[in-house]
Amino acid sequence: MSAYPLSEDQSAVEFDPFTIEIIQNSLQAICDEMFVAMRKTAMSSIIYEVLDMGTAVVDPHGNLASAGAGIPLFVAGLDKAAAFVIQKCAEQGIVIEPGDVFATNDPYNGGVTHLNDVAFVMPVFVDGEIVAWAADIAHWNDVGGMVPGSMATTATEIYQEGLRLPGVKIVARGEPNEPLIEVMKVNSRMPDFLEGDMWAGIAAVRVGARRLEEVANKYGVKTFNEAISRYLDYGERMTRKALVDLPKGRFTHSEEQDSGLVYACVIEIREDEFIVDVRNNPLDPGPHNLSRDASLLAAQLLLKAVTDPGPTCNGGNFRPLTFLTQKGTVFDPEEPAAQGFYYEAVLRLYDLLWRCLANELPHLMPAGHYASMCATVLGGTHPDTGRPYAFVEPELGGWGGSIDSDGTNGMFSGFHGVTFNCPAEINEARNGLLVDRLELNPDLGGEGRHRGGKGIRMDYRIRAEEGFMTSFFTRSKFPPWGLVGGNDGSPNYVEVRRVDGSVERHSSVTQLKLFRDDVVRIVTGNGGGYGDPHERPRESVLDDIKNGYLTEERAQAVYGFNTTTR
Amino acid sequence: MTAANVRVATDVGGTFTDLAYFETDVETGEQRVRTAKVDTTPPDFERGVLELLHKADVPFSEIGFLAHGTTVIINAITERKGAKTGLITTSGFRDVLEIARGDRPNFFDLVYRKPVPFVPRHLRRELPGRMNYHGEELVPLDLSGLPDIIEGFAEESVDAIAVCLLHSYANEAHEVAVLEEVRRLAPEISVVASHQITRQWREYERTNTAVLSAYVQPIADRYLNNLNNSLKDGGFDGSLYIMQSNCGIDTVESTRQTPITMIESGPASGVWGAAELGRLLGIPNVLALDIGGTTAKCSLIEDGQVKIISDYWIERNQANSGYPILAPVVDIVEIGNGGGSIAWVDDLGKLHVGPQSAGANPGPVAYGRGGTEPTTTDANLALGRINADYFCGGTMVADMAGVNKSLARLADTLAVSSEEAARGIVRIANHNMINALKLVSLNRGYDPRDFTLVAFGGGGGMHANALAAELQIKQVIIPAESAVFSAWGMVMSDLRRDYFKTFLCDLDNDAPTKLKEAFVALESQARGEFSSEGLDPGMLNFLCFARFRYRNQEHSTEVVLPDDGVTAENLLEIRERFEVNYEREYTYRLPTVVEVVGLHLVAQGEVGKLALVEKRATGRKLSEAVKGRRQVDFDVDGSFEAVLYDGALLEPGMSFAGPAIIEAAGATVVVNPGSQASVDQFGNVVVTIGTA
Repeated sequence: MSAYPLSEDQSAVEFDPFTIEIIQNSLQAICDEMFVAMRKTAMSSIIYEVLDMGTAVVDPHGNLASAGAGIPLFVAGLDKAAAFVIQKCAEQGIVIEPGDVFATNDPYNGGVTHLNDVAFVMPVFVDGEIVAWAADIAHWNDVGGMVPGSMATTATEIYQEGLRLPGVKIVARGEPNEPLIEVMKVNSRMPDFLEGDMWAGIAAVRVGARRLEEVANKYGVKTFNEAISRYLDYGERMTRKALVDLPKGRFTHSEEQDSGLVYACVIEIREDEFIVDVRNNPLDPGPHNLSRDASLLAAQLLLKAVTDPGPTCNGGNFRPLTFLTQKGTVFDPEEPAAQGFYYEAVLRLYDLLWRCLANELPHLMPAGHYASMCATVLGGTHPDTGRPYAFVEPELGGWGGSIDSDGTNGMFSGFHGVTFNCPAEINEARNGLLVDRLELNPDLGGEGRHRGGKGIRMDYRIRAEEGFMTSFFTRSKFPPWGLVGGNDGSPNYVEVRRVDGSVERHSSVTQLKLFRDDVVRIVTGNGGGYGDPHERPRESVLDDIKNGYLTEERAQAVYGFNTTTR
Repeated sequence: MTAANVRVATDVGGTFTDLAYFETDVETGEQRVRTAKVDTTPPDFERGVLELLHKADVPFSEIGFLAHGTTVIINAITERKGAKTGLITTSGFRDVLEIARGDRPNFFDLVYRKPVPFVPRHLRRELPGRMNYHGEELVPLDLSGLPDIIEGFAEESVDAIAVCLLHSYANEAHEVAVLEEVRRLAPEISVVASHQITRQWREYERTNTAVLSAYVQPIADRYLNNLNNSLKDGGFDGSLYIMQSNCGIDTVESTRQTPITMIESGPASGVWGAAELGRLLGIPNVLALDIGGTTAKCSLIEDGQVKIISDYWIERNQANSGYPILAPVVDIVEIGNGGGSIAWVDDLGKLHVGPQSAGANPGPVAYGRGGTEPTTTDANLALGRINADYFCGGTMVADMAGVNKSLARLADTLAVSSEEAARGIVRIANHNMINALKLVSLNRGYDPRDFTLVAFGGGGGMHANALAAELQIKQVIIPAESAVFSAWGMVMSDLRRDYFKTFLCDLDNDAPTKLKEAFVALESQARGEFSSEGLDPGMLNFLCFARFRYRNQEHSTEVVLPDDGVTAENLLEIRERFEVNYEREYTYRLPTVVEVVGLHLVAQGEVGKLALVEKRATGRKLSEAVKGRRQVDFDVDGSFEAVLYDGALLEPGMSFAGPAIIEAAGATVVVNPGSQASVDQFGNVVVTIGTA
């Protein structure tokens, strides 16, 4: 081994900038390594295929030192889980020891999102001192509660949404807490999946903790701490630098939701501060509330998108953010308000903030996208294996046009990232149904100088004698919004086409019965258009017609297109 | 000198076409290597090859074995210069190619654009007909719409057609029927169906694979024809083989069918060279590292076996989803970090090295061709690791004034000295490469300390010692033919085909029969293919792998099967093999059902690779190889006066301690203080890593 010139004593005086750089690069690499470990071992397709999961490194004070891949929701959620555990242990005198792994899924106890998302945080010890936390989180299929899959549209209290893990040791000094694990398994309808996903999560934080320990040991704790501290400062500088160039002012927006509730926000951009105020909002009577931490995520991600959308992300990026909520509202509910569908609420908030800013920054932000997870749960008995199946998946949809291009077709929502849809060939084998089609949504809407991207139209044909569907789609009543004169897009909805030829249309439905050869047609919105449709270049319109994105009649009606003239 | 003793490898790169010529003197057994280089000659690439053979004065009629590698395929794709392609797919699924998998790699980016599909929507056409995942027909194929489709393609001047139907991995019958009908209706258009390339599920990936193969097929066809004919016209009557991405070579005829298999042939030949070198020296576990001008590539070889994967992506990075190709490709991690990688400071004062590269033009600042940003090579020059007076083997005068100026400017931005800046560049470049080496080892559960690092390419010898020290690797080998190691790997290659097949069953008492049947079918497919191409299937040996997972998981772990396959007696042993691999990578086991999800058959046959002969020592004294001494900065170890050795004068048995530098025409080897270098019987430099 080469002897590094940076002993503890020297580093106290001055730090080598390249060593600092190397440690910072290592943090990202460690997050990625944890991500791969978790993805590859998970039991549930929502983790390994949809990648409804995330990893992070958190500093000893609960700051996000580095975020890994996954979905953006989780990227900046894990620091909050670690911060809760740190505070809880301090308050209750709980001793944190090497080899411990803490679990939380409870939004009222550091869990941030909903009970299905189980976070693990593991302390990293060097010379008896905690130098960092390795953390990960993933969506588990079933954690108990009143319905299979744990998320019930009819829930009014969190007690109905499953077993709550309030930041407790699931592994203590390296030894699994067997009684707790037994309790968790007996509470789940899918105990084998639960155990597999649990081990995937534990394996990943262990990998992360081991690597972090190696790095801290190698370069010394002081240098390691300094590297994290400077990395956070670097993140802060990134945001502050970009803030300077944003238009300053106080912007407001309010909007009626499909539920009939009206959500409102105020965003104020100052030279050195970005203030998001969502105090003036109602409480949702059902499961569509989200914890303050989850609401904060929406504001953080929006800030990141308009300041520095590059991949580097740590807690420093968000230091200039001030976030204001009111206790007892949808964005900061009080226990025991239900939060099972938090993800839809957070997307609603994100879309609300996005639209509020897009009106002011149309050069930076696209028109509205389909803006719903369009979560769909299908279950029943696999006709070939006789085993029960149930899966939950988010759906792809259309994105809005932007200042320099058309919107993107068929992509996961703004709260997804490295998320992959399930191939039809795998879906058919795994779940015993048929995928009759997966194509771009032919519905009208989203026209503009730059048109919105297309959503999808996907047909699931039920092969089993019986099955069920639960869905929760928003933007079903009010379609994705156009920007600077572009047309609104088209709504999200799901149809059940019965064998007898009848068709039912739904947006939100729980445990709907299905029978053999019924077809569930999932239709997701076309994104909003950007700019006046009459400004769309003729060759682009011709190209749309040629590719079947547009009919000639529609082209005439909306674009003023005439086949005979040039 | 008989014809059979001349082996030639030619490699068409983006900028240069390389040749390596290996001749063995029948009487003395002495082996000579000659190399030559000409500019690549697009679009008639074969012209460069012929020119090169003439330039090197290689008599065509004496060449017994010619292996050919090319970047023509990957370049046609990355430069979007392939054929106008149409797609025929199952009703309801023409948009799969455009929808892809729906991911957004940089999730903070609200205006992310997906990679544009290689076939626009109006050229993606559908046919009714449906299989299920068991390969059973649910709806018969209806070809009545095909003439219309073909006519439409003709009107649009489509040159190539890809066919990919749902579940064709399980039953290819519908694809075969479409293929035959397309050939009948439009014999002039080249066509490929997905099952010809892969028998794995995932419709987007398979469709894209078929599309990209069709996209390059007309180009590959023309290219291979011209090459073959020109060589024959020149009097060549030996065997021509084409380097593949799976580390093997294959016949021209077979390559023509599915040219996409050539996509990563360049990196594959280098990895294969490292594996062969390991076999020759009795070293089964090797980390191969190729440091070139713009990238560094690494790969892990375990127990003599290269790792071949079947889910490879091009143009994939943190900001782009890329395109999948389900062809057998050697498992490589590649990073944008080579000799030409540019060091730069971002808006907020952080130093980065790469992935932008100065390339060959303008190249590093030292080339004096207008480069102004310091590169890794410039930093190595400033630190004295590269000899400024023997730059590029003495063929070029290093512009040290320019180098110093560029480093001073960078140092100024960072508020450090020029020397510190140069060290910083090398340290960060090394760190990037260490991360890549960790990705293929530690991240997959392998301890790098159990491996020997074989480093090659222009920068391999320069960085290997420091990388090995950091990873606690004990031994580094810089091959004798380091500068033309890819070509060396090519002449050491075997004929090889990898067959991957999605195959689902539980690992239970019925598994032995099912697996046996499936492998017998795959083997007979392989034999049939070889026979139909006029090759002797008797020369083939087979290696069987299966992919396993715990029930309900998705990602599988590949395990080599015993010679007698899976039997009732060894079921538990097979499960144990899977679980050992699984636990190594993921740290735990599960008491649940194990499923088989895929088969992997390797068919291999030797077709006259080079037999390496030991070099003889002349008894030259080590002191005669000493060129001089120079002050060299060894970064974290400090600055020392190092002894310079002339690589051309080193011979087997010589041994010396660092700090030392070996200078050869194509490569510089840095031996750090505390390390020990020796020259083995084949002329390879073996560095035993020690501490200063």
